[in-house]
Amino acid sequence: MTVLGIEGTAWNLSASLVDDDEVLCEASSAYIPASGGIHPREAAQHVANNIAGVIRQVLSSTDPRLIEGVAFSQGPGLGPCLRIVGTAARALSLRLGVPLVGVNHCIAHIEVGRWKTDLVDPIVLYVSGANSQVLSYWQQRYRILGETLDIGIGNCLDKFARSAGLPHPGGPKVERLAQESRNYLPMPYVVKGMDFSFSGIVTAATEALKSASLEEICYSFQETAFSMLVEVSERALSQMDKSDLLLAGGVGANARLQEMLSVMCAQRGARFYAPKTEYLQDNGAMIAHTGLLMLRHGIQTAIASSGANPSFRPDEVEVLWIETH
Amino acid sequence: MGAEAVVALRGHSVVKKRIPKDYRIAELDTKLRRERTRLEAKIQSDARRAGVPTPILKAIDSFSITMERIEGPPVSSVMSEAVAEDIGAVLCALHSAGIVHGDPTTRNMILSAGRVYMIDFGLSSYDRSLEARGVDVHVFFQTLQATDDRFPALKDAFLAGYARNCSNAALILEKVNEIKERGRYL
Repeated sequence: MTVLGIEGTAWNLSASLVDDDEVLCEASSAYIPASGGIHPREAAQHVANNIAGVIRQVLSSTDPRLIEGVAFSQGPGLGPCLRIVGTAARALSLRLGVPLVGVNHCIAHIEVGRWKTDLVDPIVLYVSGANSQVLSYWQQRYRILGETLDIGIGNCLDKFARSAGLPHPGGPKVERLAQESRNYLPMPYVVKGMDFSFSGIVTAATEALKSASLEEICYSFQETAFSMLVEVSERALSQMDKSDLLLAGGVGANARLQEMLSVMCAQRGARFYAPKTEYLQDNGAMIAHTGLLMLRHGIQTAIASSGANPSFRPDEVEVLWIETH
Repeated sequence: MGAEAVVALRGHSVVKKRIPKDYRIAELDTKLRRERTRLEAKIQSDARRAGVPTPILKAIDSFSITMERIEGPPVSSVMSEAVAEDIGAVLCALHSAGIVHGDPTTRNMILSAGRVYMIDFGLSSYDRSLEARGVDVHVFFQTLQATDDRFPALKDAFLAGYARNCSNAALILEKVNEIKERGRYL
């Protein structure tokens, strides 16, 4: 089966063509804000201006008659972006005369990770700009075992970076600066069961700018926030009695976070997997691949129910494509 | 294998030792382990004094606590509406004592001689706020929902147990719903 997928929830507009085995083609156009963070209206304008181009690029790589389905990111994400992506997907599905399928963005991150690492039933740590969750598959759904009680880890990093005068996206810059210090400043460490909170770290780090070096703050920020994420991942492995951990989402590209997760897994005899950075970040292939899995299991989205769903939660989706034991 | 500590059985005692975590820098790791051990011991004995079934403490040092061994299955393996109702009553008693458990999962409760014992006060704190109590109940609901398909009935039973002695059960439920909605996406 060959499916075309379109991702456009926030910063990276991306279209891709996949079949059962591999990614056949991908074209992307990233929105880079001139200043500040992601502005929803500007992000939507970026999608509107570039969506025809990325789709055309993917279509030109193949005979369009071979495409058997059109998948799109239905949510969660920025409403103005999602609506344009939905409109393009509906038009394309009608034009090609093939089924339409709306994909949950979080689940697409997990599915592309499972695809690229050959994992069946891992605990998933999903960390991106807006999302931070620990999930586990159980009885036809990805259950959210724990999540942030306020902001996502990526937004937490970006928010602090902005107040420190670092350009967007702040995460990679904080990561680089953190490597320059080994001086730890205590920061709020908030874990409640498997839930966690990051807003206190942003406040503490921003306050610390008055008295400490940026390198020290970045180092302490990462060590504190990531320790919280690793702690809840370990608790999830223990609670669900699983032995594989999959990392998903753009913040997963952080080398220090990967190192900490890998050390935690080694210490408890679990296995740690992270797909390549291109599949951690938002990408069209993850939408196309998840759409393919859904279509293979008879799931389609009628035009009438294909509207954008900005607060689409992963546990709303019935997952029919996983067979455990 | 537990996530945070090594628990060893020594006759009628349980020794809970917080082991170093190699993934965390030593400074943060030592601080967290020492603070959590000290606080856990204090809160656990305060909870017991307030009538919440918990193991009796026998000895404490920097990173380990020795306590009475409670015989019985974790409530996750014997869950029923009656058990869920008892959990509600026990959590209400704990909250009334000004304590939130912090990790009230179904694995941190043991059914022994017909009573629900709360164990593992490692993430507990003194907190009387509706917010903290709501998070406690939210954590419990999450583990229940993720592991038991009788969730709706068990949730009702829990709330009935909670409401028996805590008149603010309706407020707590409202808070739990608010916390659930707060999980951010944008």
